[in-house]
Amino acid sequence: MLPGLWSAASGMEAQQQQLDAISNDLANDSTPGYQSTIVGFHDLLYASGGAQSGSTVATGAGAAASVTGRSQLQGTIEQTGQPLDVAIEGEGYLEVRRPDGTIGLTRNGTLQVDSQGRLTTNLGMPVQPPVTLPKGVAPSDVTIGSDGTVSVGTRKLGKIAIVTVPAPDGLLADGDSLFSTTAASGAMRPAAGATLEQGALEASNVDISEDMVKMIDAEQGYNLASKAIQYQQQMGQIANQLKSS
Amino acid sequence: MNVGLNIAAAGMLAEQVRQDQLSNDLANASTPGYKPQTSVQSSFGALLLANTATGQQIGSMQTGTDISKIVTDTAPAPLQQTGQPLDFAIAGDGFFAVRTPQGVRYTRDGQFSSSAQGALVDADGDEVLGQNGAPIGVSAKGTVPASALGVFNIKGAQEQGDNLFTGSAAGRATGSVEQGALEGSGVDAIQTMTEMIASLQAYQSGQQAIQTIAQTLQASSTNVGAVGGP
Repeated sequence: MLPGLWSAASGMEAQQQQLDAISNDLANDSTPGYQSTIVGFHDLLYASGGAQSGSTVATGAGAAASVTGRSQLQGTIEQTGQPLDVAIEGEGYLEVRRPDGTIGLTRNGTLQVDSQGRLTTNLGMPVQPPVTLPKGVAPSDVTIGSDGTVSVGTRKLGKIAIVTVPAPDGLLADGDSLFSTTAASGAMRPAAGATLEQGALEASNVDISEDMVKMIDAEQGYNLASKAIQYQQQMGQIANQLKSS
Repeated sequence: MNVGLNIAAAGMLAEQVRQDQLSNDLANASTPGYKPQTSVQSSFGALLLANTATGQQIGSMQTGTDISKIVTDTAPAPLQQTGQPLDFAIAGDGFFAVRTPQGVRYTRDGQFSSSAQGALVDADGDEVLGQNGAPIGVSAKGTVPASALGVFNIKGAQEQGDNLFTGSAAGRATGSVEQGALEGSGVDAIQTMTEMIASLQAYQSGQQAIQTIAQTLQASSTNVGAVGGP
């Protein structure tokens, strides 16, 4: 009965998903290292439908949306003056160890020192391989080189690894600015051409004006699909009134 | 039975198919590289009418209408800049080719990404093909030169879902590949809306015709044989 009703509804649902993704992006406009979500739309199966349709008459079943990945565009590098803030320039991630022992990837370089002197993220997850500041060394004495080398004066303390994966779109977003590698993303490897900048953070790469345009577009698509539902419903009514007189 | 009744009903069924097609277009108003469709309406064969007493031919009468086929309008739509390194659009004619488990399919949706093996793939993980039919590698920096992508001329392109088209490749198309852009949906919202209104009205007219014929039938069945008149 009225396949067009369902294809129109699928269009509304797809636009809803786009709106959800945009809302999440806008909410994370101030999250350092946040990468905006990319939503892809695609059409659904085509099948011959209707009482009199032949093989050349195939109507589509509507549309669907799915998150295809994260924007890899460079966010603005913002100077903070904090000695333990690092911004990643280029495609890459910091490697951190989560409390459960697994490895996470993040672009949020708001680092700090924990009670044992280890360099950790703002959520207390140590960077990998671990870098420990000796007792008595203040964060302001620490120098972090563009290749990730951490040193105090001429003394080298360790090296923060910058890693990436062959398919960043396949990374699983876990929240807390963390990603996990998956079979779809491929295994971690050293990032080619990514560098660190000390005393700065990468701002989120959310482009508010672009998101606003996308939002208007999604709203319009939502409206259009809802109009299509109204017309389908009116057709149902007209068909029902066939025998009214 | 009354021929007019069937003609009106056929018209209503045709409008239903058209509404389904238009709903699908509207649902895909944001689908990159989506190509809108047109329902082609044609009439059934005409009946030759003859005088039952003399056998003399009177003329022909149409017996209704149906949607004979749905065609895809593959005209290029405006490109939208995204800045994403693995987004591609074809300015002008042509299709990208991807290798699916069912065989090579064609698409105008260039929202590609890298696979775990470092090949350029579409949203379903199907490998994108170059002009020579070979998969395309993504560099360590996550980029692919626009010239690596094949642009194919397709004969008999037909939508099959997932932004893919079936058809047979016939050489290189004239379109050029643009990096960091996507082709928008080809759906013209205003035109589609107008067609929906027109189709709804045609549907209603069909219903009115059926009701009128039903009233006539009722009158002839109750009044014609009535003794003493109404």
